Amino acid sequence: MRAITTFTALGALLPFALALGPASAQSRPDPMRAAATQAARPSLSDPMVALRAPTEQPADGVAASAEFGGLPDAPGAEETYYQCVACHSTEIIKQQRITDARWDDLWGWMVEQQGMVEPEPEIRAAILGYLKTHFSSER
Amino acid sequence: MTDQAANGHRGDDTGPGQSPPWAGRREFLRGTGLSAFGAMLGMAVPFGANMPAGLIPAALAQDTGLDLMTGKNGLIVLGDRPLNAETPAHLLDDDVTPYDRLFIRMNGLVPQSALDASAEGWTLTVDGEVENPLELTIDELKSRFENVTRRLVLECGGNGRAFFNPGASGNQWTTGAVGCPEWTGVRLADVLREAGVRDGAVYTAHYGNDVHLSGDPEKEVISRGVPIEKAMQDDGLIAWAMNGAPIPALHGFPLRLVIPGYPGSVSQKYLTRIRIRDQVHDGAKMTGYSYRLPAYPVAPGTEVPESDMVVMTEMPVKSLITFPQTGADVAAGQATEVRGHAWAGNGDVAAMHVSVDFGQTWQEARLEPPANRFAWQRWRAEVNLPVAGYYEVWARATDMNGVSQPSTTPGWNPRGYGNNMQHRIALIAA
Repeated sequence: MRAITTFTALGALLPFALALGPASAQSRPDPMRAAATQAARPSLSDPMVALRAPTEQPADGVAASAEFGGLPDAPGAEETYYQCVACHSTEIIKQQRITDARWDDLWGWMVEQQGMVEPEPEIRAAILGYLKTHFSSER
Repeated sequence: MTDQAANGHRGDDTGPGQSPPWAGRREFLRGTGLSAFGAMLGMAVPFGANMPAGLIPAALAQDTGLDLMTGKNGLIVLGDRPLNAETPAHLLDDDVTPYDRLFIRMNGLVPQSALDASAEGWTLTVDGEVENPLELTIDELKSRFENVTRRLVLECGGNGRAFFNPGASGNQWTTGAVGCPEWTGVRLADVLREAGVRDGAVYTAHYGNDVHLSGDPEKEVISRGVPIEKAMQDDGLIAWAMNGAPIPALHGFPLRLVIPGYPGSVSQKYLTRIRIRDQVHDGAKMTGYSYRLPAYPVAPGTEVPESDMVVMTEMPVKSLITFPQTGADVAAGQATEVRGHAWAGNGDVAAMHVSVDFGQTWQEARLEPPANRFAWQRWRAEVNLPVAGYYEVWARATDMNGVSQPSTTPGWNPRGYGNNMQHRIALIAA
């Protein structure tokens, strides 16, 4: 019964929390906020699902591109696809929901430690912008 | 490896004088990863613009190990290159995890020697800060040192990463990057004693022959190590067999380390060399944010300077509910058996508890002793769900120091390691 209640409360809270946006979420640390908004889609058959970090971008209604390994079909997808699949598949990209700072760090790690070829600055900007837009914990 | 890849690839080439179908992309591809790959092979990569989703060049695809997934049963594939797959909790009910239920964590590509199951000419080098450097064949390992068989838990340091919020980069493991197969080999400590570890020894450095994702044969995939004190404990093995058979290709054929209690990444697969170092090892995935935690507690999402990150060592105490499967229907007002496993990075588990009321009250489960140190321990409890309705079973293990699992994610960290939050399943009583 309790879980049903939680489920309902969560559904009611979600639009409110989303409307507030990430900016106000930064004001004062509050672990209860994460408890209220964490799950994108609670599952009544598996309580662990509700504890996961959101796996969907709420405002991101972009369709997956079949041509580019299922990446969201948006500006930057093509550049991102060809840069990244030289080493790894798009599956690892699609799993990420991280901060902008973490994307910058990952980029540096791939170039410095993993031998990734640094593309032209405008391609780099397009790819990082794309990653920070579609695979972000901040927006 | 690279030659083979190039040869295998040539058959698919568009042929001389033909303009590849993606010629229009050439401008874009200049300087990107794909052109770098082409340059490495000494040829253009015939990438069709209409290439099916997720397809990667045949030269690269053959070594991910993806074909070997047919031998696995019920695993969730998180990524196909590198190949990473985890096991749903209810499929980990066996005391000894069978091959088809063991998670896969690849950092690179499966080496050809493992795919071919060929250990011909394989040697293990032990050098560095030792009196007598060794170069041992597998037969010499088997004959010169005591052979031991042990059940040892192997768990990815990032198991549970999916529950950190904000997200942490890496494979989004939930609960299934763990297993407890039975390993046969020799004690790492016996081999190191034979080599004569010098007083100045600080750390081990492990090397394997797996292949970097870029295909670059010069590039190290992963090379981690442990403090020499950990290496000299009796628990760690240099193993050649898993569950009584040669170690499968995905899990390190023909030789691997199994050093329990630490993140799985120290248990080097495809082991060729152990170098003893006079400093903390700085190989691939030892530095930066890899397998490191902040030196102090940080708020979720904090950017921690690299200099404040410290190497992760012991894994925390943890448990799983492996029966029933989450969402199962059970009878109200009757005893229902709930069971699973518990393990700890610092040795054995002291106690196991379950709750059916969201952690308000806890009942003690029966905890069996481990088959050996660092084997996971079977626990069982009878729960009674008084009236029809929705229940959750929460499971909580406590280690020998009295430290138990938190009900939510413990300390957030940039790469999402060490999440030992309590496992929960749903039960529907009718």
